[in-house]
Amino acid sequence: MDNIIECKNVTYSYPLAETPAIQELNVNIERGKFYGVIGENGSGKTTFCALLRGFIPDFYKGELNGEVLVEGKKTTDYGGELSAKIGYVFQNPFTQISGVKETVFEEVAYGLENFGVPVEEIERRVVEVMQMTDIEALAEKNPFDLSGGQMQRVALASVIVLEPDILIIDEPTSQLDPEGTESVFAIIKALKEKRKTIILVEHKIDLIAEYADEVLVFKEGRMIAAGDKQEILSDLSLLEQGAALPQVAILGSRLKEKGLPISRIPVTEKQAIEFIAEALKERDKK
Amino acid sequence: MEKKKYSIKEDFSMLAILVIPVGVAVNFVGGQLASLLKLPMYLDTIGTIFAAMLCGPWVGAVTGGLTNIVTGIANPVNFAFIPVNVLAGLVTGFLARKQMFSVWWKWILSMLIMAAVSIVSSAPIVVLVYGGVTGGGTSIITAAAMAAGANIWAAFFGTEGIFTVLDRVISFVICWLVIKVIPERTLVKFGCGSNYIKEKKK
Amino acid sequence: MEKTYTERIQIHKENKLAALYPSTKLLVVCLYIVCTFIIGTVHLTKVGLSLLLIPWFIAVPVLCMASGAFGKCIKALKAVAIIAVIILAVQTFLVPGGELLMRFGFITIYEKGLKTAISLSFMIMNIAGIFVWLFQTTENREIARAMEASGMNYKAAYVFTSTLQMIEILSKNSKTIMNAQKARGVETEGNIFVRAKAFFPSLVPLILGAVISSEERVLTLEARGFSIQGEKTHLFNLEKSGCEKTVAVVAVIITVLILAGRIALWII
Repeated sequence: MDNIIECKNVTYSYPLAETPAIQELNVNIERGKFYGVIGENGSGKTTFCALLRGFIPDFYKGELNGEVLVEGKKTTDYGGELSAKIGYVFQNPFTQISGVKETVFEEVAYGLENFGVPVEEIERRVVEVMQMTDIEALAEKNPFDLSGGQMQRVALASVIVLEPDILIIDEPTSQLDPEGTESVFAIIKALKEKRKTIILVEHKIDLIAEYADEVLVFKEGRMIAAGDKQEILSDLSLLEQGAALPQVAILGSRLKEKGLPISRIPVTEKQAIEFIAEALKERDKK
Repeated sequence: MEKKKYSIKEDFSMLAILVIPVGVAVNFVGGQLASLLKLPMYLDTIGTIFAAMLCGPWVGAVTGGLTNIVTGIANPVNFAFIPVNVLAGLVTGFLARKQMFSVWWKWILSMLIMAAVSIVSSAPIVVLVYGGVTGGGTSIITAAAMAAGANIWAAFFGTEGIFTVLDRVISFVICWLVIKVIPERTLVKFGCGSNYIKEKKK
Repeated sequence: MEKTYTERIQIHKENKLAALYPSTKLLVVCLYIVCTFIIGTVHLTKVGLSLLLIPWFIAVPVLCMASGAFGKCIKALKAVAIIAVIILAVQTFLVPGGELLMRFGFITIYEKGLKTAISLSFMIMNIAGIFVWLFQTTENREIARAMEASGMNYKAAYVFTSTLQMIEILSKNSKTIMNAQKARGVETEGNIFVRAKAFFPSLVPLILGAVISSEERVLTLEARGFSIQGEKTHLFNLEKSGCEKTVAVVAVIITVLILAGRIALWII
């Protein structure tokens, strides 16, 4: 197993907070896998993201016990260099604009300038990423004049262009309309195909079911379940813990309870059609 | 926490670097709003006071100075008042650091100090560089007082004085209202932010 | 061949003067101010007026015209001129002292008033005028880039550029908030207390929103390698117009000549 990030017995409290936001967390993130992070609001998902990226404790201060290792090195020992390894995208598209660039092209190029990449290479890489994220038509617009969905794609492009191995994406679509959501997920899908390690926090559970390999479930600062998505998302006991599960998984379990000989609980629509059809055939045979 | 040796460089954290542009823009918008509402005050140091209260005197000073540099690009006459705003930031920052906004009598004292510093630092510039008139709202009153035979210095202090104190009080109250609603978790990240948390807890 | 994006963000200026490197322009500005002060010490007529400042001021519009930015500069100069005229009027008519020069009914002009009036107002016109030339022929991007090129910390250049954008954003936001508050019934007209009361609900949410955003923007910048150590590259680069040396030499020569002339006047 190739662990790219490891959390060893991590407990963290925000400054002034009375209860820890993350408690006794042990988790290994494997290289090249897609992790979906779910749980109710305030369960520690965003804190988890900031922790992996090293913003905790450097920026958020507070008290951290245990260690977070990225490729075997503690996040606190990295300094600014971590931006080359981990890309970070979050909810608010508006605050993910650097505030110093006048065109989308320059905005996307900003990180590469900071990295000291030669100008000819910047041009090539930025154009490539703008095509991948479908924003080349916006290249000469002012980033602040864009819609939320467009801004979020620019934010993703600005991070992808740095070619990090790991991407942490924290609720990228919670402030977007369905169209914006779709365009953002098209990019996430392309990243998955590139075998990037992805950690995605997302409330739209059907999207997690479709894209993730593994699912981590948080509740009140603790990781209460982790494992293969098929197994986690079909575990109805998690519903009582406040986690959302795909409608098709709930449907599958109910059908099973009612006596339909369903072999596996589906978590995506595609699976549901397949598994239920199978089960119906099975029943008809009898 | 232990008391570390203080360095100015630490004042300029990432957050402070981002608060400076906000402060300058607030100065700008405040001034615009004041003239839009036809208030007899400038109200163009709110951002400087705000930055100084949260991030200390040096960040406040930079915010103040930069405000006049930026507005000076459109009207270079503003360059002459750079020292006034730099001082406003410095004084507010030092008062904040010394917890001079915590009790009502300290607060009143601070308001008077801030107004006095502003008048004393701008008076020589207005009188010596511009001969007592800057073209702003209160200039007309100053000019009228001068015409009536009042001494040029007295004319300046009399009219500017009252409005400057009022200006500082309004500016401060706005900053205070904002600081009161900033979440504590955010507040602690600012150099002087923890000062305001302790007071809330009391 | 089509231009690359990098080529498209560069600034090309046809006019050689407008295209001067920002630091050369700054040198011209500094020398011009020095000259202004020297010329201001020449007192003419019996009363001792600094009348030479008036013809000297012609240099500013001439320079603006030669840089192909006359229209833009005149607009900016208007704001300066208003202040200069007010000062001229107030000083001339209201400041007593020295000999009484003229009296028309209730209007009086005293020696001291007229002297400071001319010297102050034209000093301001000259100094502010030359800055107007600098800023109207130089884009903010160029200033920020020149700051970084001159060895200033990249953070300073960031603060400068981001300030200009932030002013635009907050001005826009303040209009939105103002309209929203008006719609909710906050009065913006009426007596002074009513108007002063409108100030608070417009400004407090604006500042609060901006502060909370800056907290998140720290994460954005860190994610883009803002605080990474090492040399940074720049897509946008300053060009030289080729006349930098000539202009600098001419400016220095003029300054020396003016200084020499002033000294000569003293000796005579």
